[in-house]
Order: sequence, then C-alpha cells, then structure tokens
Amino acid sequence: MTSPRPGATAPAASGPPRKPARHKPVRRALGLIAPAAVLLAVALAGPWLAPHAIDKPVTGSYATAGDGAVLGGDQLGRDVLSRLLDGGTALIGGAFLVGVTVTGLAAVLGCLAVLRPRLGTVLERAADLAILLPPVLGIMLIALAWPDGGRWAVILAAITLGTPYAVRVVAAAAAPLASAGYVEAALMRGESTFSVITRELLPNLRATVLTLFGLRFVEAAYIISTAAFLQIGPQPPEADWALMIRENAPGILLNPWAVLAPSAAIALLAITVNLAATALAPRTKAVIPA
Amino acid sequence: MAELTPLADTAEPAPGPGTAVRRIAYAGSWGLRAGAVLVRRALLLAAMLAVVFLAVELLPGDAASATSERGDSAADIAARRELLGLDRPLWERFADWMTALPTGDLGTSARGEKVADLLRDPFPNTLMLAGTAFALTAVASIALGCLAAARPGRLTDRVIGHVATSAFAVPDFVVATGLILTLSLWTGWLPAVTVSGPDGDPANWKMLIMPVLALTIPQTGWNTRIVRGALADQAATPHVEAARLDGLSTPRVLLRHALPGALPVIATGLATSTGMLLGGAVVVETLFNYPGIGSVLAGAVASRDTPLIAGAVALAGAAITLVLLAADLIRAKTVGAQR
Repeated sequence: MTSPRPGATAPAASGPPRKPARHKPVRRALGLIAPAAVLLAVALAGPWLAPHAIDKPVTGSYATAGDGAVLGGDQLGRDVLSRLLDGGTALIGGAFLVGVTVTGLAAVLGCLAVLRPRLGTVLERAADLAILLPPVLGIMLIALAWPDGGRWAVILAAITLGTPYAVRVVAAAAAPLASAGYVEAALMRGESTFSVITRELLPNLRATVLTLFGLRFVEAAYIISTAAFLQIGPQPPEADWALMIRENAPGILLNPWAVLAPSAAIALLAITVNLAATALAPRTKAVIPA
Repeated sequence: MAELTPLADTAEPAPGPGTAVRRIAYAGSWGLRAGAVLVRRALLLAAMLAVVFLAVELLPGDAASATSERGDSAADIAARRELLGLDRPLWERFADWMTALPTGDLGTSARGEKVADLLRDPFPNTLMLAGTAFALTAVASIALGCLAAARPGRLTDRVIGHVATSAFAVPDFVVATGLILTLSLWTGWLPAVTVSGPDGDPANWKMLIMPVLALTIPQTGWNTRIVRGALADQAATPHVEAARLDGLSTPRVLLRHALPGALPVIATGLATSTGMLLGGAVVVETLFNYPGIGSVLAGAVASRDTPLIAGAVALAGAAITLVLLAADLIRAKTVGAQR
C-alpha cells in the first residue's frame, strides 16, 4: 500500500507542513458537545434514579406500559425503565476505559512510529493485519480463548483490535510534524525520544488526539454492545442495553418499549458522542483510513 | 488521502516516437506492481491466520474439555484430545492446517465433522448478504458524496455530513431493530424473520431487504464521509479548478474531473468496510434468523470449536483480502498512470 509511510519525511515539493485549522467557532462546538454531556450524566446517574430493583419482577411478562412500570415489563416482568437506567453505566465505563487506553497507546506509538521509521513499518504491517480480522470475529476469538473473562475479555479485545488502526491515524497526523524545524532542532539538541514525543509532538496533535478519543469511544461502545448482543461479556441477570435488545426481541410485538428503549439509548449515545467528537475535529483527514 | 494522488507530473515528455516502448515498459511495471501487491496480500493473510491459530491455541482451555459430557473422566477427555489430534505439537497441527487450506480442506471440527461441510451452505448466504450490502453501499455513498460535494458548505452538504456521521456510529443490530419496528411491526410491509426454504436458503427475496439495509445504512454513513473528503481534496487540485474555471457544469467537473482522482481513496474506504460488513452480517443474521455463518459461529463459540472458528475466520479473511487486493490494484493503476 502506498499509504504515507509513518516516518517518511514530507516531500519538499509539498511545501511547509499544513497546519490543521484548530479552532472552530466555540459556540457551535459547544452546541454539539452539550447533548453528549447531558446524556452521559443521565446514564451514569441512572442506577440511583431507577424506581425498581433490576432483577425482581414487578409486572407481567412483556406487560405494556402502566401500573408503576412506565415502559412496561420485559420477558420476566422486570421493570424496563429501571433496567434501562441501570444498563448504561457498565457500557459507558467500558467504552471510556477502552477509548482512553487505545488513544493513549496510539498517541505514544504513533509518534514513535514517525520518529523510528523501522518501528513504523512494523506497526503499519500490524494495522494491515488487523484490518483482515472483522471486530466481531475478533471478539469471538478472544471470548473463546478466555471464557471466564466476561466484560474484561471484551474490553481486552476492543483494545487489541482498535489500537493498530488508531496508531495509523496518529502517525499520519504526526508525519508532517516530524520534519518541522522545532522537532528537528529538538532531536539535534539530543533530547530523548520520550521528551520529543511529550513536549514537541503531542502538544501539537492535541486536536487529533481528542477527536481520536471521541471516535474510539464510539467504536468501543459499538464493539462492547455488539459483544453483549452476542451474549459474550455481560451475562443474563445483568441489565445491559444490548443484552436487553437480544432478550426481549421475541416479545417485540407485546411490549415494543422493552426493545425500543435500549435501542434508542444505544443509538443516542453513539450519535451524540460521535457528533461531539467530530465537532472537536481539526480539519484534517484523520478519520479517513489509510 | 490527498497525499496519495500526486499531481500529474508536469515534466512528462510529450507523446512521440517512444510511446510504444514506453507503453510496454508501463505494462511491465504495472505487472510487477500487481505481482508485488498480490504477494504482499497473500503474506498478510497467512500471517493473520497464524495469529488467529496461535491466539486460540495458546490461551487456556481446549475443545476436548469444552465438549466433554458431565460424567466424563480425565481419561475420557485425554482420549478425545488424542482423537482430535490435540496432543500433537502446536507447529505440526498448524503446518497441517495451513498446507491443507489451499485444497479447500478447513480441518475437522471439535464434533468430528468437516469444517468445510459445516460452512458450505451458510457461507454463500452470508456472502450474498454482505455482497449485496457492499454493492448498495458503494452506489449510495458515491451518490450521496457527490451530492454533498456539488454544493460545498450549503445545507445539503451539512445535512448529509451530519446524517452520515450519525448513521455510521449506530451499531448494525440497533439499526436492524429500528427497521423491524418500522418496516415490519408498525407498517407490516416486510416479514420480520427469515424463513428458510427447503434448500436452506431464504424462502423469499423480501426477507433479504431488512438485513441488507441494516448493514448498508451504517457503512454508507462511513463511506459517504470518505467520498466527500476525497472529492474535497480533488476540488483543490489545479486540474479540477481549471475545469471549473473553464465553465464546465458542476456534474461534469465532479464526475469527469474530480471523481477519477478520488477513486483510489474511495476504493480503499470501501475495502475497509468489507470487514465491518462481514462481521455485521454475523450479528444481523442472529436477529433475523438468517441462515448464514452467524448461527454456526454462535454455536461454535459456545462449544469452543477452534477449527470451526478458525475456518470461518480464514474464509472471511480470504474474502476481505480479495476486496483489499482489488483496492490495491485500483490504487496501483492510478498511481502508475500518473507516473
């Protein structure tokens, strides 16, 4: 692939490295970030707001809304609203953990790939390799290899599968910086690689890294919820949005809310966080796969 | 990537007596590049299969104990382990498996059936699902991307941008649930589950609509953004600007001048979608009860059937490799043509 090799210096013909326009109108960005913030706050506070216990039947199986259960009952007559309020915390926590880890790893490895071309080639090949393994099959493999892992197996899978691609994004953004005067000057001064990365490269990549975190969060939410839907990860008595969709699908005719509510919750989470991430985005091609 | 489609070399000599020779030299170098791309993709596929095999083998637990019955003694399990060949050295089993692959032999599942037989019927169904979704995604995302690029910065552009961004973020099974609710339960237009005919394929083509849509919608979101970005990069190049200044119509500038240069990026973007489409197919199949590899894999995970999963991954990897190869070739051809 003729993708811009991390570590390759920008050709002289392309002129000075393009600087990403970093500041979008703050107000517009805030308008796109606020819904995500509100939703995250509600989802995280959910368990304390739940009116009923998540594992005790309060109404009939697939009972329709009413009689103390605002969104009706699920397949065992448990309160859908309470389970909905409880089900987001673990998903969001897991996605956050994966997002932070992948972004952190990618930030350091991506810069390292640019400063050390040979390592860059290795990382590039690893990313090529990872593209051949669909995330769903990757989760299945890890779940298979680590059956007692539960949520942690899925989180590990999401980190392993997400990092190579994220490294490539950071490396692509860092490549033009590597030939910038101040980085070359720092290298000439004999500063350590670590110091060049943390003090010269990363501060100039903060917009890319921030966006990357948002997109990785969405991707992690995708992987974790897909795994839960396939019943890898959280196990049945737990209230989990994806698991609720899977469990209640047979009763979709009787109480559509039992499926609709968690579906809408996942969709809202993904859309709001994704819009917030793109609102923060610098005008680069960071989201385009190499 | 804009950086990948360098401007046409201005130092190119005018076509003259040497053209035929140059054409032969070009064809030769194109063949070389294609060969290199082919070898590289084959090596990557082999490497991925090795990683998959190792990941499954090196981590704790194996098929012999996973498929054991309640009353089995340790000796029973050991006997089954020997039967399945699990007592042989790892590298030997891997070498056997890899050398058998090209002959279409995917090994024997933990239950003693041929993996190739288990996957023979469902895999084409999954391929058809993912392939239809792929074709639809390609058409829809190029159309939407062009539509957005035709009016840069205007309302159409922004609406398409935001909708595409949102669509791509929503997991396929959530899209599928929404489709079932709207197209099946509330309107009654389409059947909610797939019923298999006597030959194991879906009984009615209408049953394909919702699974295909559930796969197409998120991937169209992703690819629309890529098409839009690639077209924006092309719009900034001198030859497109010149075409626009010449007063050519917007559709003509877009389709004849901007789109060809954007094709390598679009091809790579679409190729990257293949994995998501195949993986998504596995998930969506369970929701619609579609007779593909999804149900086979779900059972295989439960019984820790390594050969079966490895076989499915091998097939998926091969399918993805083919699509990536096509994208590589399109890229190699475009880059070559500009030399």
